[in-house]
Amino acid sequence: MNIALLKLQLFYSGIRAGQNLPSPLANPFGLVHLVLPEGVSVSVHLNENGTESPFTLRKDGAQFLLDIAGSDPVPVEWTPPLQSYQQKTSSGVLVSDILTVHGDFIAVHPTHACRFGQSGLSCRYCGSSRDISQHPPFTPRDLVEAIQIVEQEKRCDLVSLSSGRVDTPDGGVERLEKWVTEIRKHLNVLIALDLVPPATNDWIDKTYAMGVDALYYDSDFFNPNDEPRKDFEKHKSRQLEALAYASLIFPTGAVLSHLVIGLEPLEETRASIDLLIDRGVVPVPAYFPPYDGSTLRNRWTATPEEAKSIYAHLYERLVRTRINPHWVQQYDVVLTALEGRFFSNESPRYHLKLKNFYETGFGRSVRFSMARLRRHLRVVPV
Amino acid sequence: MQFKIDTRPLPIVILARWWRFPVFALLNFSLYYLHSQGPPDGLSPQGYNALLVFLACIFLWVTQLLPMPVTGLFALIAPSLLGVVTLKDAFSFFGSEPVFFIMGVFILATALYVSGLSTRMALYLLKSGAKSPKRLIFQVMLTAALLSFIMSEHAVAAMMFPLLVIITKRLAPSPQSTSYSRILFLAMAWGCVIGGIATMLGGARVPLAVGLLQEAGYGTITFVQWSTAMFPIVIVLFGFCYFLLTRFYPIEIDTVGEVDAVIDQQIRDCGRLVLEEKFLGFLLLCTIAAWIFWGAQLSMAAISILAVVLLFMFRVVPWRQIQEKMEWGVILMYGGAIAMSSIMNSTDAGEWFTRTLVVPYIGSPWTLVILLSLVTMAMTEALSNSAVVAIVVPLGMSIAKQFGLDPKVVVYAVASASSMNYVLPMSTPAVAIGYSSGFLKIREVILPASIMWIVSWATLMLVARFWWPVLGVHIGG
Repeated sequence: MNIALLKLQLFYSGIRAGQNLPSPLANPFGLVHLVLPEGVSVSVHLNENGTESPFTLRKDGAQFLLDIAGSDPVPVEWTPPLQSYQQKTSSGVLVSDILTVHGDFIAVHPTHACRFGQSGLSCRYCGSSRDISQHPPFTPRDLVEAIQIVEQEKRCDLVSLSSGRVDTPDGGVERLEKWVTEIRKHLNVLIALDLVPPATNDWIDKTYAMGVDALYYDSDFFNPNDEPRKDFEKHKSRQLEALAYASLIFPTGAVLSHLVIGLEPLEETRASIDLLIDRGVVPVPAYFPPYDGSTLRNRWTATPEEAKSIYAHLYERLVRTRINPHWVQQYDVVLTALEGRFFSNESPRYHLKLKNFYETGFGRSVRFSMARLRRHLRVVPV
Repeated sequence: MQFKIDTRPLPIVILARWWRFPVFALLNFSLYYLHSQGPPDGLSPQGYNALLVFLACIFLWVTQLLPMPVTGLFALIAPSLLGVVTLKDAFSFFGSEPVFFIMGVFILATALYVSGLSTRMALYLLKSGAKSPKRLIFQVMLTAALLSFIMSEHAVAAMMFPLLVIITKRLAPSPQSTSYSRILFLAMAWGCVIGGIATMLGGARVPLAVGLLQEAGYGTITFVQWSTAMFPIVIVLFGFCYFLLTRFYPIEIDTVGEVDAVIDQQIRDCGRLVLEEKFLGFLLLCTIAAWIFWGAQLSMAAISILAVVLLFMFRVVPWRQIQEKMEWGVILMYGGAIAMSSIMNSTDAGEWFTRTLVVPYIGSPWTLVILLSLVTMAMTEALSNSAVVAIVVPLGMSIAKQFGLDPKVVVYAVASASSMNYVLPMSTPAVAIGYSSGFLKIREVILPASIMWIVSWATLMLVARFWWPVLGVHIGG
């Protein structure tokens, strides 16, 4: 059984709920957290139709098993939904209205919904599967409290703040600055921002200097759904320039860009991966097949078997170019670049050992300290 | 906050940012190693430890690994930690008379600056310069030099700089005026340097050198004695500098009539002369008179502190402004330097060092004076002139003693030579301020500056040979 392929198949089909399962089984966003063999985390949606998915989760005594139609069952670990989601901050905001936790990664939309949220599509990744307008407003202080509440229950290394869809020269940095400042003031975590590439490079300098450790750029020229812009080539050229510049400023592998697999021919996705890696950027191919019943389901072109080659290509290019893949840690809603090793014969070299080291308490401290030290050295007051 | 991102390879960034730590480690290790070796023959353990601290201070002052005032504090405590003197004695060296004299002088100069009186004086001195281009150069030099008689030269340069910027902007439309602007900024910078030699108030290096002399028990040099010894040098250098500036660089403009309007405007902006400024001017004149006539009988420090007390008794300037504008760190640096020198003298360290390592290579007192003045002038082009004084004067006095030479000669030679820096921007703040105008480029300045350097040294030697003996300061040999 190829674990990475199983993960993709779970994204594609979801699971059915079998017998003797605890309740609640899924988190408030309808995702069930499982750990597959070899420590591969996955958050899989509960396929309530119950007809399409060949996967059934059941409990046998103390053990959870994933029944696969036509194969032997696979033992898995089930992670109960966080109780923290049901707690409230001192100002009365529900933690689940503030953030979403994926493994050791916290996703937050402090001000605006992500593009999927805004368009009404459900987003499995950032927690805006519900309409953001229904969320009560919260403050940076609430966010810090919510993270502290989650940290009491489980370890979280990275907080990712998303600016939502913006069309300002800063790419959304300014609106997130006060949130970053508050987190830096109170918490020892790594911070990533989900932004649009800015119009000028000085915003990238500012982003790093204000305490951000990683960037997830939403490079919209990859998005086949958008209406083509009149200045598309110029726009694309500027965004690529921003990505390349950011990869000089941030640590290696800490500039990432999303790619959506399945809404365009796979060859185009492969070319986009090369385009990004050539600029020192780590592509994060998101395999988010629309749920059963969605109108987009019919437009989906990539089955898990077909997507394998994309992840193998991504993994092999990263290993050869020595770009660090560790900023995508425990990312249970995508198949990470490092998990692409299950589709390749290339050795993961030291990356796997380093990943395991970072998952220890000492490794975490080293990673955080190195990030702080790097910023201390690189950012020079003038 | 303004910042830039250093994108060089990380090992280079680490080396550039943290090179100090391995150097500190090496310094500590070297001191520990030398300390564990014990003193050489003829030197007491206390003297040896004092010498080690002195060498460490020289290293720290030269490399500026620590801020200079912090090295001053280190000089204060390190000897007592090594058992050379008690901590009480070390602190008492800091409370010496010259430190308080320097403090008083600095407070008075800061008051002159913050009250605006010095700007007003500069404007009136400059006003008559608008008659011709050459006259303006002369007037800028004269203003800078005269003001440096009563305030530290860097304060004068800082005060005159904005005035000259306005003047050169008014003259700037033609490309020919670039050369003229360069002359004006050089006139300001070198005028400050030359004027700063004239009295003990042109910078704290002279009081520091005199303080070192006094603490070593070799008597003192009064305000009048210093100025009398230096005046011929100032007159010659002033005249030569004017000659050089007006001959070396072409003056390609015919009139500076616009400057008159600029200065008039600035004078109008200053408003009328207020009572506080009048009182400050009067107080300054009285203080200088007291230094001249009663400096020997009363203490120089007492007179300057009394002037400061009067300054605040009549509320001429608010204390807060003095507190903000004054460079208090300089006091710490000088206090530490004086304490270090006193400790060297209270042990046999200085004498042993010079007797063993320097004296055998120096043939006569004149060789010593030539060597000290050249070394000082060369060092001050790259180092703070106060640091050079703190390093060279104690050693120079020790050597002089062994030649039977009056240590005052060392103070005259080193303190005046330490003021003579014209070439590099890091040599003295007045020159650095001149460079900051953007009109001066090292390659365009280096030749006339080198000529000034050589002429200054030659003038110093001639004055030492023919004028100082008239004042009773003999070099002999």
